[in-house]
Amino acid sequence: MTTRPRPFEIVRGGGPASPAAPETRSLLVHAARLGDVRAFAELVDTYYARCLRFALHMLASRDDAEEAVQDTFIRVYRALPKYEEREAFEPWLFRILANRCRTAGGRARRHADLVEYGDVPERPSVHAEDEAFAWREAIQSALATLPRDQREAFLMRHVEDLSYEDMSTATGARVSALKMRVKRACDAMRNLLSESDRNG
Amino acid sequence: MAERDDILDSAIESLRELPLVRPEATARLLIAIAAERQRVREAGVAVDRRGLRRWAWAGIATVIAASVGLLLMPPNATRDDRSLARETADRANTSPVIVASHDARGAEAPRAVELVFSAPAARSVRVVGDFNGWNERLTAMVRDDASGLWSARLMLRPGRHVYAFVVNDTQWMRDPRAPAAPDADFGRAGSVLLVGRP
Repeated sequence: MTTRPRPFEIVRGGGPASPAAPETRSLLVHAARLGDVRAFAELVDTYYARCLRFALHMLASRDDAEEAVQDTFIRVYRALPKYEEREAFEPWLFRILANRCRTAGGRARRHADLVEYGDVPERPSVHAEDEAFAWREAIQSALATLPRDQREAFLMRHVEDLSYEDMSTATGARVSALKMRVKRACDAMRNLLSESDRNG
Repeated sequence: MAERDDILDSAIESLRELPLVRPEATARLLIAIAAERQRVREAGVAVDRRGLRRWAWAGIATVIAASVGLLLMPPNATRDDRSLARETADRANTSPVIVASHDARGAEAPRAVELVFSAPAARSVRVVGDFNGWNERLTAMVRDDASGLWSARLMLRPGRHVYAFVVNDTQWMRDPRAPAAPDADFGRAGSVLLVGRP
């Protein structure tokens, strides 16, 4: 009898950002740190979509974003034995991811090139209303105009829901500086989107 | 002025949508991690071998030193002194036994192994395993159109190997005809293949 192929688990768009409860995530990190490869695979399943979302918003292309995320998880795997569990996992993960995005962003095309953003995030409703599509383009366009450090801080705070303390761990910047970056990013986004709304 | 308002909330809600994760992307990542794991294991083995070589040289030196000591030992040496010298020589002799097995190259020579997998509807099937660094690009299987069977001929060193099939570049499956590997990488199914010595 032939066993039916079992597909890999796919994290669906619009689903929960991190399906595992915080306690489960801590256990997964603990087990992965001790060398449990299944636990590491669970961590990949849990965080891949979130990491990809962040990378897609930070970088110009899907390929660059995928590469940054893959590179991040390989680095996480290598560094796990040295990871101190008293340090929160998410800021540690995002520190590595943000570094990879910075490196990728430095050598890749300029963020202003939005050609590949049309299909991000991918979802069936992309063919739906032109208005919704235009609104999403306006958001991506506004995000692209932000300086990299402001864009990074804005995404970490308001999209990834990191606390300012965790953001400080992830970026190495002081909390006061991060609050300023987020505020400036919010002001700029608001102005650009309001303008786009008026013109649209 | 508040940091958030309706227009910003709407933008953030849109930015929070998660992208679809392409199955081939996670498959590629897990294969890369498996290769990394294998690399670390092999590095560990290399360190062990270097250690064994050091022990072997130390052993040989000790044997020579102990033999010289026995020869030079004055006839009036006590029984305990002689026993101690022999014990040292014996202990030194037992250490390099594992290293000596490397000389038997014939027994370690790769042997041909044929892997067969039934997947009539598959577009492609590849073999990944510890023998090819879990690289899914290295070992493609060939399809027999009449039977729908896929096969690959591998040259494997005697010993235990863990492997799996990657179907259509995305689905990782174990070989249903071989025992399941209890240490399957990353929870993905793997099978055990034992290659015997001639």
